[in-house]
Amino acid sequence: MVYLYPVAYSAWVSLYEWDLVMPARWVGMANYRALASGEFWDVVVNTAQYSVGVVALSQAAGLVLAVLLNDRTRLGALFQASIFSSYVVSWVAVSLLWIWLLDPQYGLVAHLLRLVGLPAVNWLGDHRLALPSLVLVTVWKTVGYPMIIYLAGLQAIPGDLYEAAALDGAGGWQRFRHITWPLLTPTTLFLLITLTITSFQGFDIVKIMTQGGPVTATVIYVYYIYEQAFQYFKLGKASAAVVLFFIAIVALTFAQWRIFRRRVHYTA
Amino acid sequence: MMRRAMALVLIAGALATAWVAAGPAAAQGPIVAQFWYSFGGTNREVTEAHIKRFNESQSKYRIEGTFQGDYFEALAKIRAAAATKTAPAAFHVIGEAVPQLAASGLFENLEPYAKGPNGTDLEDFLPGQTQNTYFDYLGKPAAPLMVLPFFRSTPILYYNADMLAAKGVKVPATWDELRDAAGKLTVREGSETKVYGFEVPVDWWFWFALLHEAGGSLVTPDGKKAAFREKGTEALQFWVDLVNKDKTMKRPPGKDYNAWTVTNTDFLSGKVAMIYTSTAFLNHMTENAKFKLGTAFLPGKVKQAVPTGGTFFVIARDAPPAQKEAGWAFIKWMTEPAQTISLSKATGYMPIRTSAVNSPEMQAFYRQNPNYKTAIDQLRTAQRFPYTPALIEIQREVIQPNLEAAVLGIKTAAEVMQAAEAKANEFLAKPQ
Repeated sequence: MVYLYPVAYSAWVSLYEWDLVMPARWVGMANYRALASGEFWDVVVNTAQYSVGVVALSQAAGLVLAVLLNDRTRLGALFQASIFSSYVVSWVAVSLLWIWLLDPQYGLVAHLLRLVGLPAVNWLGDHRLALPSLVLVTVWKTVGYPMIIYLAGLQAIPGDLYEAAALDGAGGWQRFRHITWPLLTPTTLFLLITLTITSFQGFDIVKIMTQGGPVTATVIYVYYIYEQAFQYFKLGKASAAVVLFFIAIVALTFAQWRIFRRRVHYTA
Repeated sequence: MMRRAMALVLIAGALATAWVAAGPAAAQGPIVAQFWYSFGGTNREVTEAHIKRFNESQSKYRIEGTFQGDYFEALAKIRAAAATKTAPAAFHVIGEAVPQLAASGLFENLEPYAKGPNGTDLEDFLPGQTQNTYFDYLGKPAAPLMVLPFFRSTPILYYNADMLAAKGVKVPATWDELRDAAGKLTVREGSETKVYGFEVPVDWWFWFALLHEAGGSLVTPDGKKAAFREKGTEALQFWVDLVNKDKTMKRPPGKDYNAWTVTNTDFLSGKVAMIYTSTAFLNHMTENAKFKLGTAFLPGKVKQAVPTGGTFFVIARDAPPAQKEAGWAFIKWMTEPAQTISLSKATGYMPIRTSAVNSPEMQAFYRQNPNYKTAIDQLRTAQRFPYTPALIEIQREVIQPNLEAAVLGIKTAAEVMQAAEAKANEFLAKPQ
């Protein structure tokens, strides 16, 4: 009920033209038609690029870090804690930190580039680099999460499997390929779904770092909804986007689950 | 989900405010009314200080001021509050938003207040600062009085007089002179530009100035169609050329006021010789410039032209009558000559009363600080905005987010303006 009411309400508002103040006016499917013909497709492409980038990179980096740090020494724990700490810090703090780090004139990154003789790069001001920059900052912030989940997955794999494989003469890569990776598939599936959903919900980083710019290069889905609703006061159009978003997330989760169900190995 | 959560937060905030407002009023004592404002930094302190002075100047009313984020964030909160019938008694809005919010029935008609027993001298308001000189009613009868000027501004040219003197450059008065001066003032070392000649936020407000300087206008005289394509392209192309061809203008990154902040910071740190920005920053600039600061009119093309900006006081129609009375008392007091003088001197915004400008105090201040006089003299070149609910949509959705595309080279200036004109016509054609 708590979840369905807002969705149902959005579906109802999406059939009206409403600016919060004037009485809402029935417009039928006009808001959906406006979405289909306008800048909406750029937003969908931006969101897909951001999502695929974030999910693929943070999952890969999380797995690598988990395998490297999978020991119970104090040093391992220290690395794990420091990597995970950025996941706990607020998005606002991380975004402000990276605005400063990426500043083309005064930033640390520009300074390091100059030291090795490379020209400064306008990370957030260049419309081709702004979205990839946001992807990297997001991965930096969130990689602790897949790392921790993968660590838990790794520690659930019985050690005697590796001993048996070693006796059979399997090398490091073969052990990873035939034991670790297959037995981590439930973890991978879980991460794929949760990371996809969280990356779809990206908002704070855009609001603080780029406000969707340059032009519309970093307008991703939730920011677009915010912009339509609270910058332009097109509540109906924003609600139509919410409804499509809900449908897309349900469909995507279902599809991921269907595809992976056949390839997941739940037990050793 | 996000939208829903945000709406709930906004509504909860509005309800909390209403509850606070209703609390003390129920008890004996002054009538308490809320005033929402959108100023940060120095202007916030100045506003708060004046609210305090108002409260101390009398005992019948008490105004409680709340900072609500920048102009556009505040607009969202006002709308959310209006939707739940919890709008503050008094607030202030940018001029461009007035026709649409007025059509929504949000504003109280101020005429009965202004002409009533606790009235004000409407004749003394400075031409160029009032509702009727801000708006062009497009051949229709004037709207009733809904707004009184609060902090009023206009864009001016700020220049680093030391840099101009060092290069023997005179203050530009035309686009050609500006382009020439920007070239002479730009300092390059290898591939790096140490000093840019010119910087201006790629923003609606400055584009509007250029549009009119080039001889264009936003809409046709009857307001039925957009009319900015040709001259708007010329205006935008001027920036495109300065940024990409001459490489003498820096394009400040960031959206909306972020780009303004960058422009001011670059100017103060000596990274740029000339900028366009609001007269509102004059105090900030004067206090922080480590060089000789000059101000001048915006250079013209076929004529000189500027928009005006800043904000106007309004009263919410849905507020309880006692609170509206308190809100009016506050607005009337804030727009009196004594207050408009102190507000202006503390910020750089323009005084809004003729008697204030002509007062010995202000005249002496102008003689000592000639930079402060530029804006008020430039008012005679001020252009009106068309009174149509589509105005805010044309600004926020059609022009503002798309100007950058041309300067970045994603589209040509002509393509940007062609698409903008088509979209503006859609908004203008909507039944009002």
